Amino acid sequence: MAATSGQGRSFATFLVGITVACVGIAFLSTGLGKFALAVGVVIFVASLFAFMKIKPMEGKPAQKPGAGGMKLLGAVAACLGWILVLFGLHVVTGTGGRIVLSLVGIGVSLFGIIYILPTAFNKNAIWKA
Amino acid sequence: MKRIGPLYSLLAGLVIAIGFATTALAQAAAPAASTAAPPSSVATAELKEGAAKAPTADTLKAGDPSGTVTGTIIDVPVSDPKAGLTLPDMANQIGQNKIGINFTWTLLCGFLVMFMQAGFAMVEAGLCRVKNSNHTYMMNFFVYGCGLLAYWLIGFAIQMGGAGGNANLGGLSPLATEHAFTLFGKTWGMFGGSGMFLAGHTYDVGVMVIFLFQMVFMDTALTIVTGACAERWKFLTFAVSSVLMGAFTYPLFANWAWGAGWLAQLGSNLGLGKGYADFAGSGVVHAVGGLSALAVALIVGPRIGKFNRDGSSNAILGHDISAVLIGCFILAFGWFGFNPGSTLGASANGNLRIGSVAVNTMLAGCTGTFGAILYMWILKGKPDASMSGNGLLAGLVAITAPSGFVSPTSSAIIGLIAGVLVCMSVAFVENVLKVDDPVGAISVHGANGLWGVLAVGLFADGTSNYGGSWNGVAGSVTGLFYGDASQLAAQLVGISTLLGFVFTFSFALNLALEFFMGHRVSAESEVAGLDLPEMGQLGYPEFLFAKEPDIFVTHSREFAVA
Repeated sequence: MAATSGQGRSFATFLVGITVACVGIAFLSTGLGKFALAVGVVIFVASLFAFMKIKPMEGKPAQKPGAGGMKLLGAVAACLGWILVLFGLHVVTGTGGRIVLSLVGIGVSLFGIIYILPTAFNKNAIWKA
Repeated sequence: MKRIGPLYSLLAGLVIAIGFATTALAQAAAPAASTAAPPSSVATAELKEGAAKAPTADTLKAGDPSGTVTGTIIDVPVSDPKAGLTLPDMANQIGQNKIGINFTWTLLCGFLVMFMQAGFAMVEAGLCRVKNSNHTYMMNFFVYGCGLLAYWLIGFAIQMGGAGGNANLGGLSPLATEHAFTLFGKTWGMFGGSGMFLAGHTYDVGVMVIFLFQMVFMDTALTIVTGACAERWKFLTFAVSSVLMGAFTYPLFANWAWGAGWLAQLGSNLGLGKGYADFAGSGVVHAVGGLSALAVALIVGPRIGKFNRDGSSNAILGHDISAVLIGCFILAFGWFGFNPGSTLGASANGNLRIGSVAVNTMLAGCTGTFGAILYMWILKGKPDASMSGNGLLAGLVAITAPSGFVSPTSSAIIGLIAGVLVCMSVAFVENVLKVDDPVGAISVHGANGLWGVLAVGLFADGTSNYGGSWNGVAGSVTGLFYGDASQLAAQLVGISTLLGFVFTFSFALNLALEFFMGHRVSAESEVAGLDLPEMGQLGYPEFLFAKEPDIFVTHSREFAVA
C-alpha cells in the first residue's frame, strides 16, 4: 500500500493546523490571535497523530533501525563544533586565532556529520543483510 | 530591533552633501543674483520652453517610425497642471525611474529563477529510472507550492521581516522588525517579524518585489533535497518536510545572512571583514539545500540494490540523459537571474556591476564543466555526460556567493576547482559515506556551496562598491588574497553555522518526521517503482520496462510485506 486518501486527509489537516497557527502568531498581541495559535497547535498535533496512525498501513520499508545513541552523538558533535566557534569568537580576539578556532569548529562538526552519523546509519544497513 | 540600513545612511549622507553643495552654489552665485534670475527660475523657464517645443498631438498622430518623438518631456507627469512641469516633478520622475528599473530588473530575474524549477525537474527525473519519473517530476512540481505556501505564511517574515533599508527597492521600510538578543555587549539579529501573509503595512509595492525574488530562491533550496532522496522518498513526508523547510530551516539561516541577522553583523560587531558575505546564495541557498539533502538522505537510506554486501556500489543509471543536459542548460540560463539579479537593481548603488556578475557566472559554469569533463576523461576514460552536467552546475553553485565580489579570472579558477571537487565529492559520498544520492545533489550543492562561501574569503578583490558598504561596514568585500584575512574568518563562521546549525536543525526536524510518519516508501513500492503506488500513473505508460538485475530485487523479497 502506498499513497492513500488517509494521507491526503492528514496532510490537509497539517496544512490547516500550520496555517491557523501562523494566523495566531501574526496576531499574537490580540486575544483572537492567542486563541488561533492554540487552535492551530492542536490541529497540528492532531495531524501528527494522524500520520502516526496511518504509518503502519503504508508497508514496511527497506530499512532497519540503526544505532540511536550514535545518531544522537553525531548530531551533538555537529552542533558542538558550531557552538565552539560561536563562543570562541568572543574569547579569541585576533583574526588568526579566530580562523584557527573556526577551522577547529568546522572539523568537529564534520567529524559528527561525515564520520559518526554515516557509521550509525550504516551499522544495520539493508545492504549488509 | 529597528535597524537603520547602510543604504539609508548613504542616502542621508547624500542629502546632507547635496544640502551643503546647494548652499555653496547659492553663496557662489550670490554676487550675480542681483542681475540674473535664480537658478530654479531659469530651470523652470527651460522646462517650459522644452514643453513648448515638445511634439504636438498632430506630430504624434503621424506615427514615430524612428523613435525620436516618443518619450519626451510631455510624458513626465505634473503634480499641478496650472504650474506646469517643475523641478520637483522632474526629480520625482527620476526617482521613480530608478525604482522602476530596479523593480523590473529584480522581478525579471526572479522569473528566470522560477524557471529553474523546470531545469531541476528535468535533471533529477532524467537521472532517475523511468519507473520513478512521474514521482520525481511531481516532487519538483509540488515543492514549488509547498515552499510558496510556507514562505507566505511565516518564512518570509522570519527571513526578511527586519530587512528594511534597501534603497534599490524604495527602502522596504515596512520590513522593520528584527528580533535580536544581546551577547557580550553586542546586539545580534535572530529572526524577523514583519510580513506574515504580506498583510497590513507589508502590503507594499517594494515588499512584493522582494517577496517574489526571495521566494524563488528559497524554493531552489527546497528542490535540492528532492534529488538526493529520489526513488524512495514517500510523497507525503516529502511534502511535509518541504513545508517545514520553507517555513523555518531556510528562512532562519537566510535571515542571519541576508535579513539583518547576526552573521551579517560579524563585521560591524566583531570587525570580521564586512560580515558574512554571500552575494547570491552559495551558502544561503545551495549549502542549505545540500546539507539538508545529506541529512534526509542519511535518514531515508540507500535505494535497494545501490550497495552490495561488501560495501561496493552499483551504478543505477538514469533513464534520460537528454533531459539531464537540457535541464542543466535551463538551470544555467536561470542562473543569470540568480546571480546578477541579486544586486536587487540595475540602477544606482554600484548596480552597474551586473555585467561583471553575469560574466563571472558564465565563466565559472564553463570552467566547472571543463573541470568535470577532464577529471572523468583522464581518470575514467570517458567524458561522462551526467558528471559534465554536474560540473556545470557545480561551477555555477560555487560562483554564486563570490559572483559580485571577484574578477573574471578568479571566477574561472573557482569554477574549475568546483568541477573537480564535484567529481571527488560524488565518489566520497558514495564510496566512503555510503550515502545514496541519485543525482549528486549533496556534492553539487552542499560541497560546492561551502566552497563558494569559502571562495569569497579568498578571492574577493575589493573592487565592488554597492553603495559604498556591505552589511553596514564601509568599503568593499576583500578576501585573503587581496589583503583582508578577517573576511575569511567571517566566511568560516558562516560555514561552521551551515554545518553546525543548518545540518543539525534539518536532521533533527526530519528525524522527528521519521518517527511520526516515516520517510521511506515500502520495499514493495520501491521495487515496483513509485509512479504507480505513489502517484497512480506511470510517467511513460507506453514504455516496456527491462528486467532489473537480481540484486535490485533480492532485498525487496526480504522486506516486502505483501
